[in-house]
Amino acid sequence: MENLINIFLDSVFVGNILLAYFLGMCSFVAVSKNINTATGLGFAVIFVLTITAPVNWLIYSYLLSPGALKWAGFPEIDLSYMKFIMFIAVIAAIVQALEILIDRFSAALYAGLGVFLPLIAVNCAILGTSLFMVERNYTFVESVVFGFGSGVGWMLAIVSMAAIRMKLRYADLPKGLEGYGITMIVTGLMAMAFMLFSGITM
Amino acid sequence: MKITRTKSFRTFIDPVWGENPINIQMLGICSALAVTVQMKTAMVMGLSMTFVVSFSNLIISLMRNAIPRNIRIIVELAVIATLVILTDEFLRAYYYDISKQLSVFVGLIITNCIVLGRAEAFALSNPPHLAFIDGLGNGAGYGLVLITVSFIREFLGSGNLFGVRIIPEAFYAAGYEDMGFMLLAPAAFIIIGLLIWLQKSVIED
Amino acid sequence: MSDYMKSLLFAGILCIACSSLLTAAASGLKKIQQENLLTDQRKNILKSVGLVEQDKEYTSGDINRMFHDSIRRVNIDEKGNLIEENQTAGGDSEKNLPVYLYQKNGGAVQAYIIPINTRGLWGEILGYLAIKNDGQTISGFTVYKHSETPGLGGEIEQNWFQSNFIGKKITGPSGEFVSISIAKGKAEDTVGEEKMGNYVDGISGATLTGKFLSKGLKDVLSGYEPVSIIFRKKLQFCKTNPNTPWCKK
Repeated sequence: MENLINIFLDSVFVGNILLAYFLGMCSFVAVSKNINTATGLGFAVIFVLTITAPVNWLIYSYLLSPGALKWAGFPEIDLSYMKFIMFIAVIAAIVQALEILIDRFSAALYAGLGVFLPLIAVNCAILGTSLFMVERNYTFVESVVFGFGSGVGWMLAIVSMAAIRMKLRYADLPKGLEGYGITMIVTGLMAMAFMLFSGITM
Repeated sequence: MKITRTKSFRTFIDPVWGENPINIQMLGICSALAVTVQMKTAMVMGLSMTFVVSFSNLIISLMRNAIPRNIRIIVELAVIATLVILTDEFLRAYYYDISKQLSVFVGLIITNCIVLGRAEAFALSNPPHLAFIDGLGNGAGYGLVLITVSFIREFLGSGNLFGVRIIPEAFYAAGYEDMGFMLLAPAAFIIIGLLIWLQKSVIED
Repeated sequence: MSDYMKSLLFAGILCIACSSLLTAAASGLKKIQQENLLTDQRKNILKSVGLVEQDKEYTSGDINRMFHDSIRRVNIDEKGNLIEENQTAGGDSEKNLPVYLYQKNGGAVQAYIIPINTRGLWGEILGYLAIKNDGQTISGFTVYKHSETPGLGGEIEQNWFQSNFIGKKITGPSGEFVSISIAKGKAEDTVGEEKMGNYVDGISGATLTGKFLSKGLKDVLSGYEPVSIIFRKKLQFCKTNPNTPWCKK
């Protein structure tokens, strides 16, 4: 239990998938313009991550890793080179399912997210989370917590950024810095703030 | 016709400056942060990206009339992933030392928004030779930003360029110290933000 | 053919094409890749005891020859007992720990080399730690695979970082096991005088890599403590077990 809490807090703060590992930047920069869309996208990412991490864990453990196929009678086969493609396929399928769900239950959110919903499929944070989970040899339960925690961390970052950008609308920025430029600089400052978590031992 | 007026040339040169993938299109930022600590890694990443984007653009453009609309994203992803993994497998067999450096980037290149972005925006609706050149141009634009950022970070952060000491010992003896902050990721964000400001101001004029 | 069928057909063909290409490449090239990996591992084992130099070129033939001349691999279980070639450890065969013995021309054991496999910031860190036959002093440390940030955590593969390990100890002043750790910043600034022998300089900007590596080293070395203890108490051990490889003259 303590280990699970560690993994959760670690993935939200110390190892925040966006501010510490810089994955998922593209949609972060583009969607943080509007706080409602940012929150919606954040929840969508949490949903996708919490599902894809354990599903990919199952696929890796029972199909792809060296010796995974021993239940089928093929203990020597090592299909780990297929993990990139399989993980991406799973992610794309789940994002497609999510798109259908959102369309059914909230037309407003669907319209608000627009093209960024299918773009979740190529968000490096999603693939990165599955790859890290494999690298770190998490168990099934740990991978669920890790997926959920990474999603929460990503959402924390994007919602904070959206809030800051809302305040920035009242600031007198030089023209060249508006929008994208100032977002990068603010992200740099946020990343610096999150670095202080690396000194914490739990 | 002057070479600078041909469509091919325009296709190449636009993404290097005016339509730069990182500064203007907002793509490919994730990878620009981890690899720009040293110029050598930035260059390796820039070259690898150029290779991948050009060839993935070429392959997708060749298939563009056959790909069904509704599964096009996953098709593009599959092509890109296969291309990158094949390259990685090949390098690991025949150029093992180089592959050790590049293996870290494999994941970063597959999900790099530039590769997919150009496939969607250009390769699907343009002939192969132009798609290939567009790939080269975007790779070059990406590489240019990477080299600029890594130049600043390596020079100010460790006094070296390409691993070669540039700032003389005398300066250190006199009290000069490396700006350690430059080696950390937040510095990359801030430098890119400033570069965007610079570029947008220049373009305005 | 309806759109739906066309998509399905295209998807099917693409799947088959991609999987065939990848599988052909992966299985066709596997043997060469594994040889490359094996040569690299052997080169690093030799490097950890100072038999090969950082910047010199060696052919794989050279490496394999040097390896066969000086290094012998044995397997032990978690209690430090040797496992014979054909046996498996009693019960759980995963507790089979490899140890590499450095024996000049098959003579007495000069050092023993432990494979290190720990989690890093971005991926696993693989390397070797060589300990002298006194069971305490480190004679070398190499890293041959990692995914850390180049220029920051990636410095663990550089000579300056690895050479700091030489001469450090994994035991404290009373001989108890403390492992070797990576300090935050320069060791002399952040670690007390009495602990300096168990810390190496950290890499500025790579605190997390240092933390993961320290923990990983501690975990791995604890698993090999039974062997280290044998080397520390060698005289007594060899009186009762003169035929084990540790005691060969």
